[in-house]
Amino acid sequence: MIETLNSLDRRNFLSNTGGGLCGIALAQMFARELSAKVETGSPAFQDGLHHIPKVRRVIQLFMTGGASPMDTFDYKPELERLHGQKLGPTEKPEGFTAMPGAMMKSPFKFKQHGESGRWVSSVFPHQAKWVDEMAFLMAMTSKTNVHGPGTYMMNSGFLLPGFPCMGAWISYALGNLTDNLPTFIVLPDAKGLPYNQRGPFSSGFLPAVHQGTVINAASRTPVPDLFANERYEFATKAANRDGLALLNQINRSHAEQRTEDSRLDAQIRSYELAAKMQLSAPEAFDISKESQSTHQAYGLGQSETDDFGRRCLLARRLVERDTRFVQVWSGPQGATGNWDNHGSIPNELPPIARSVDQPIAALIGDLKSRGLFDDTLLIWTTEFGRTPFAQGGEGRDHNGGSFVTWLAGAGVNAGVAHGQSDDWGYKAAEGKTYCYDFHATILHLLGINHKRLTFRQNGIDRRLTDVHGHVVHEILK
Amino acid sequence: MIRMPLILFVLWIPNTIWADDLFDSKIEPLLRDRCFECHSHEESIEAGLALDSRSGWVTGGDSGTAILPGKPDESLLIKKVRWSDAEHQMPPEKKLTAAEIALLEEWVKRGAPDPRKLAAAKSDALEWWSLKPLNPTAIPNSDVHPIDAFIQEKLKANELTPSVEADRRTLIRRLSLDLHGFLPTPEEVSAFETDSDPQAWEKLVDRMLDSPRYGERWARHWLDVIHYADSHGCEHDVKRPNAWRFRDYVIARLNEDVPWDRFVREQLAVDAFYPDEPRLMPALGFIAAGPLELSRASTAPVTFDYLDRDDIVTQTMAAFASTTANCARCHTHKFDPITQEDYYSLQAVFAGVGKGDIEYDANDDVHKRRIEMESLLAATVSHDANILLQSKYDEIVNQWIQLWEIGQANPVQWQTLDANVFLSSGGATLTKQDDGSIFASGKLPDQEEYAITAEVKLKRVTAIKLDVLKDDRLPKGGPGRAENGNLHLSEVEFHWFPDGAKTPIKLKIAQASADFDQDGWTSSHAIDGDLKSGWAIYPQVNKSHYIVFELAVPIDATQGGRLAITLKHLYPPKHVIGRFRLSVTEAEAVATRILPETVQEALKNSSELRTLADHTLIAEVALKKYASNILAELPAPAVAYGVSPYWSHAKKHPEPLAPKVVHLLRRGEFNKPVREVIPGALSAISGLSGRFEELNSLPESLRRAALADWLVHPENPLTWRSVVNRVWHYHFGRGICDTPNDFGRMGGEPSHPELLNWLAVWFRDQGHGSLKELHRLILTSNTWKQASDWGSVPVRNLEVDRENRLLWRMNRSRLDADSFRDSTLRISCRLDFTIGGEGIEQFVKTAGPQATPALDYEQYDWNSKPTNRRSIYRVVWRGIPDPFMDALDFPDLALLTPKRSFSVSALQSLTLYNNNFVLSASEWIADRVKQEVPTEQWVQRAAQLCWQRTPTKTELKSFEAYAESYGLTALCRVLLNSNEYLFVD
Repeated sequence: MIETLNSLDRRNFLSNTGGGLCGIALAQMFARELSAKVETGSPAFQDGLHHIPKVRRVIQLFMTGGASPMDTFDYKPELERLHGQKLGPTEKPEGFTAMPGAMMKSPFKFKQHGESGRWVSSVFPHQAKWVDEMAFLMAMTSKTNVHGPGTYMMNSGFLLPGFPCMGAWISYALGNLTDNLPTFIVLPDAKGLPYNQRGPFSSGFLPAVHQGTVINAASRTPVPDLFANERYEFATKAANRDGLALLNQINRSHAEQRTEDSRLDAQIRSYELAAKMQLSAPEAFDISKESQSTHQAYGLGQSETDDFGRRCLLARRLVERDTRFVQVWSGPQGATGNWDNHGSIPNELPPIARSVDQPIAALIGDLKSRGLFDDTLLIWTTEFGRTPFAQGGEGRDHNGGSFVTWLAGAGVNAGVAHGQSDDWGYKAAEGKTYCYDFHATILHLLGINHKRLTFRQNGIDRRLTDVHGHVVHEILK
Repeated sequence: MIRMPLILFVLWIPNTIWADDLFDSKIEPLLRDRCFECHSHEESIEAGLALDSRSGWVTGGDSGTAILPGKPDESLLIKKVRWSDAEHQMPPEKKLTAAEIALLEEWVKRGAPDPRKLAAAKSDALEWWSLKPLNPTAIPNSDVHPIDAFIQEKLKANELTPSVEADRRTLIRRLSLDLHGFLPTPEEVSAFETDSDPQAWEKLVDRMLDSPRYGERWARHWLDVIHYADSHGCEHDVKRPNAWRFRDYVIARLNEDVPWDRFVREQLAVDAFYPDEPRLMPALGFIAAGPLELSRASTAPVTFDYLDRDDIVTQTMAAFASTTANCARCHTHKFDPITQEDYYSLQAVFAGVGKGDIEYDANDDVHKRRIEMESLLAATVSHDANILLQSKYDEIVNQWIQLWEIGQANPVQWQTLDANVFLSSGGATLTKQDDGSIFASGKLPDQEEYAITAEVKLKRVTAIKLDVLKDDRLPKGGPGRAENGNLHLSEVEFHWFPDGAKTPIKLKIAQASADFDQDGWTSSHAIDGDLKSGWAIYPQVNKSHYIVFELAVPIDATQGGRLAITLKHLYPPKHVIGRFRLSVTEAEAVATRILPETVQEALKNSSELRTLADHTLIAEVALKKYASNILAELPAPAVAYGVSPYWSHAKKHPEPLAPKVVHLLRRGEFNKPVREVIPGALSAISGLSGRFEELNSLPESLRRAALADWLVHPENPLTWRSVVNRVWHYHFGRGICDTPNDFGRMGGEPSHPELLNWLAVWFRDQGHGSLKELHRLILTSNTWKQASDWGSVPVRNLEVDRENRLLWRMNRSRLDADSFRDSTLRISCRLDFTIGGEGIEQFVKTAGPQATPALDYEQYDWNSKPTNRRSIYRVVWRGIPDPFMDALDFPDLALLTPKRSFSVSALQSLTLYNNNFVLSASEWIADRVKQEVPTEQWVQRAAQLCWQRTPTKTELKSFEAYAESYGLTALCRVLLNSNEYLFVD
């Protein structure tokens, strides 16, 4: 179908049709022009849009609710000294859910780990073994300390709904690596969707094809509408197969009578791809194919880790089969079962931390041993951090001032840390990193210049990074 | 650049040479070279400072103004480039050379002349197609349809050949989809194909425009444009149960063909323009459409107050004027003549309203009646003799007097209730007195609730009387316990416990009357549901009083039971009754007989002897009852989600709130107010005033009205172009300007600017803003009726204009999500054409972890009845969209969607092939066919229903073979997935 577009002004075409007919990605649209400029046959050039990529696929782990930095990765001895003193703001800042209380030290023990000597608290014993594989952004900062806007910000770079999330931009920019699976897959917590429901996986103003495909990992039919529901008895396997063949036949004869309309061809092609996906997707989602020891490693079968472990394992199977972007969420929106530990850090944080710790460690080990780290990026994120002062007796309130993100895998300078929060862990002190920088860095690894990935919407050339963003070279190889 | 002699050169030049060209040749390149990477709109705006325009450094960044002209030593920029200390080091990587610093210092010293302006401020800012005045354009060829004349002229100029007219089947399919949003039936197609009337087409167009299906179809477009949804959005994505009134309003007004200027006025300020037509109140749902109200109420009140108004401004200006005013939130628009001040003035237009459920009369006559009775009621309070003594009320008053006189002849018998339980919530000691009354002593709490129960000995109770009794033991003789002897009865409640019943019946009180009402604290305040108002008796202390509560429905006490009475004293503190007695009666119309002493005195005089004051007093009482009764009988007001000055942050206030003060914000940051702004619109549009100076002290609705007037002003070049282009877009699949929400320099340029201009003028003047006239004009053009196929035209057309920008053929279109659903239901013979009403929920809803529920679309029963309503009546949940509609590019309603995107993907194909809706519909269609025709015609009929044509022999053969193996239902599924079904030529 690309052939039929050759005489078209492509840039114009893209902006006019809303980003491409088939949801064909920019890179595929421009593939020819680019390949003429890039050294032909260069094996390094795969599908980067603006430069040679280090990363071809991404797994993002998202801790819903605002994972506490000073109780996990951001060791703050000063809090031990100041514990119990009333030093925080004297008025309730916007977005706080209560008046700030006294300074509160972490109830957990911190130790240094690995050759890099990263401090990790006792809530993450498994991840602690892999700190030398991770690069830390220690002074991430957000423009908000409220869940809804914060979740949007970390996903789409804007506080408000309606903007495409990173996965959608990547799908738009780079397209798929395989026809067998969706390009951007979201694996939400079995307990429910994150803040803003499906907003954080939205394609916003990009064509719908780029939005995250939401997979219910616990379902027998994880990919929605992959097959007909069993209650429709007429839709047998054979009827399905021969029906697609008949459809192809009538659509072709329909198209023959209509002079080359690329959309008709695209429609025919998309049914062919659908048939391919029907053949290959079930295998990708069938984790029974994995060995017993793999199941154990990811914590499957243990009540605390089963759900997140299952989804981490699925994520690995999906990237292995060339899904471009997989997002694994820990925790739903709401007051419980996530990282929004207002009530009690010592009681609420350990269980949610346990539910992800072993699966994440297993995922790192698995990606590494299978060589997937050669071109796969793994990122651990949350929407914001928590206050160094207590809320109630021993909880912590929202804090956009400073929080931690780590990256591991391809292109990452493992073992380094960039930025530093202040002595309380309240605000970013050095190397302040906004979502814009974070997103710019990930796009950079994928071969995309974040300033050049744009889409015109209602008069503005929109970017994932708005008018901001610097690649954080400090954590890259 | 000359490096070495630079300093010399700078020192040497005379003042006069410091003109634009020098700035352009020296300063600007330096800034560009060394600063723009971090301080410009094209790269990034670090610390909020942009140096790519004069306003950038004047406004400054986080640390304030960057340059003080004439004062280099005090200018932040100079301090920074000098690397004065560790805090001030710019550019951070490499210091400027001494010569470069000197150049900047000298520039600042000489007043920092900076000729740069953003594009908008340039003198040619108005030299742009969409801002040019709307002047009549000559039609190039008056012999043909005006639209064809413009189109053909351009085709001719480009040596392009127009296409032939499409066949009738194609035309009616196209028209039906265009105007009604679904495909025609095979019967409609053949009727049109065989219609020999030369006016057949015009008649068909008229018929379709007259059908209510038209409004349903075109309302959907408008709802897309303005991001209407039935839930809030963001993390508080709860339902707006009354939002649908706006959807119904749009459908109705489009069907009624309301002129466009009036449509704009209604949606922005119906309350100001048409107060006598309250049925149109749901129009204000336009302003309330966006997703952010609960974020403003619950998430971050200050931040979202601005962001929500931003959303309203963005929507209003995009929808009505195709203008991206929101681009000027942080800085004056880079490309269009919109200043930052303009933008905040637009915010000020909406600073007086909040969003919430608004009550209104759905019937204009009811409203008239309500208004009259409310003002009559108000007159009884304000003692307005001019109203009360109007002759039209004479008869009502006289009747009342007669009734009263009859009552006087038959005094009411009261039976004292013998309380068996009496409790004080505030800890007072209650003791029963010999006369059956209760006396309060001991603790005097701020707030107090007395709970009394007593057996009822009468067979029937029509009214309950509360005596409050004077007593020397009380301050000033009582009857209240307040220091001045007063009491405030905030609210009373009565419950009836029939003997043996487990749950009580709450008794509704029709009316309360007392022998004396304190000014502003009247008997009706004790039953108004407002805990802060109540009945009081000051200054008539040291005197017993009574208040009588007449029940709406008498108690039937034949089987016996107990009456529970709650007397609430909540505000102000300590105004508690000191001694009281309760009694009941079975007499009728008791409340009328309870009159203030003054009225009783007045009534004692014979009619001729009554003074004007007497007459007024009597009329007050009589008309109060009359008005209250009528008001109680009027239909309850309807409720629509909209805006009003009573609402703010999702909370309703008793009084309208004053509009919030809106500031121009430095770089759009909420904590950086620069100066107050007044309501207004765009200042650069010639002939229109951009500021609404006089409005600051007037009702806020006039601000909105002023913006509406500004928008629909005949000389506004944007509004009239905007609407005709939008309509064109929906008819042709592409606007004359293909960015319907943006006519600015970042938008598209029109393919036929003269035609757009002509259409706008025609629509405004000849068409009188009638959309139906505009549709008629477009649909009767040859341009619209052209075939869409490329086969019949010379290859040159393809070579020159493959995109068909010049319309040498019609564009083929695909059924959108709604049309697919509605067409499929229609073929299934299930489409329910009921108009309007509450939305249908096509999902299973369960409680979510917080306010937002969980919706399961997969579990929805497609055989349930509500399924069959048209798609426009679906409940659209903003944050949890229907995956089926989503796959077919139904828009994300967090966004304004001037045109739907078009995507094709494997996932979409899987949805069309396997979704429960399509599979259910396949069953419905097969069932229909089997009922309609004999077995041997099944296949043919199924194909005919989907394609509105008879299948060819070859097609029939393969269909029959497939149906033979897998059944007719399976074949229907294939047909619903076919391109011939999905696309209209």
